[in-house]
Amino acid sequence: MSADRVVTPLEGTGHRPWDPEAPIPAPLRLHDCTVAPEWVDYNGHMSESCFLLVFGNNADAFFRFVGIDEDYRAAGHSLYTSETHLHHRREAAEGEPLTMTLQLLDHDARRVHLYQEMLHGDSGVLLATAEQLLVHVDTAAGRSADMPADLLDRLRAVRDAHAALPRPERAGRPMGIRRPDRPRGE
Amino acid sequence: MAERWPAPFSTYRTRVPEEWLDYNGHMHDASYLVALSEANEALFDALDLGAGYYREVGASYFTVEYHIRYQAECSSGDVLTAETRVVAADPKRIRLYTELKHDDGRLAASGESLYLHVDRQSGRVAAMAPDRYRPVQEVLSAHAGLGRPRPVREDR
Repeated sequence: MSADRVVTPLEGTGHRPWDPEAPIPAPLRLHDCTVAPEWVDYNGHMSESCFLLVFGNNADAFFRFVGIDEDYRAAGHSLYTSETHLHHRREAAEGEPLTMTLQLLDHDARRVHLYQEMLHGDSGVLLATAEQLLVHVDTAAGRSADMPADLLDRLRAVRDAHAALPRPERAGRPMGIRRPDRPRGE
Repeated sequence: MAERWPAPFSTYRTRVPEEWLDYNGHMHDASYLVALSEANEALFDALDLGAGYYREVGASYFTVEYHIRYQAECSSGDVLTAETRVVAADPKRIRLYTELKHDDGRLAASGESLYLHVDRQSGRVAAMAPDRYRPVQEVLSAHAGLGRPRPVREDR
């Protein structure tokens, strides 16, 4: 994470053209990358914040897929992250290829609930997952605001296309140290 | 020995640098995690379970879960402090709750994290040696009176 500021790979590229007739992949695969030298820590593994950086880049690819880009944000609205829940399974080393998937779990007029997986680009082994809740905000007012109809139509189309996907095992789970000999809680 | 460990543990203090910002001049999602992780790392260092422990013992805490709740925006130059509580622990695991706060006390973000103690050679979860675990137990005891952190919810 070394730059003048954090820049996503798609920054400045605008949104993708929306074709209402095109089939929507389930899950979406919009972003691939390679673990960069500046993402790894002293023991040669990708640092946890850089996992989140890559999940953010994948989310940015999704926003552009449904129409949220620089122009959209300049017009006064944006999606802000309210919660992120990361699960780490495996480490990633410099130079390893990463493939990202994205599943839209749910949305309403103001909120978007996403689930992402980071897979090793060659083996397909699951490295990490991210579950995120985002809120659509009026950036000047600093308050949540309904999304416009065309954006909601696109989200609905993606949600419908993803409705048949199994509910991810790790989504919606509170965190805790689970012990077999005790019920919930410590 | 409990008085050795302030409740909560709070040594981390940082000023938001330019490179933590995103396109709109606010702190990027991933930069909150940089700060939260550094704050937890400060506790691990205080427990002698940081980079030196890794070199000496060949084991370290590996993050398996991190749940961040974003509460307020941060801008370049903002001063942030962090408070970390040990919520639960055993010789193989530690669960922390961390609050990242603005200078004026406003909550910027909270993080719940779960780490496993992993032997780097075998890549497996391993129990920490009793003498290394003892300080963890001390902090756990020192933090027991803090109660359950407010944003930790069982429902969603």
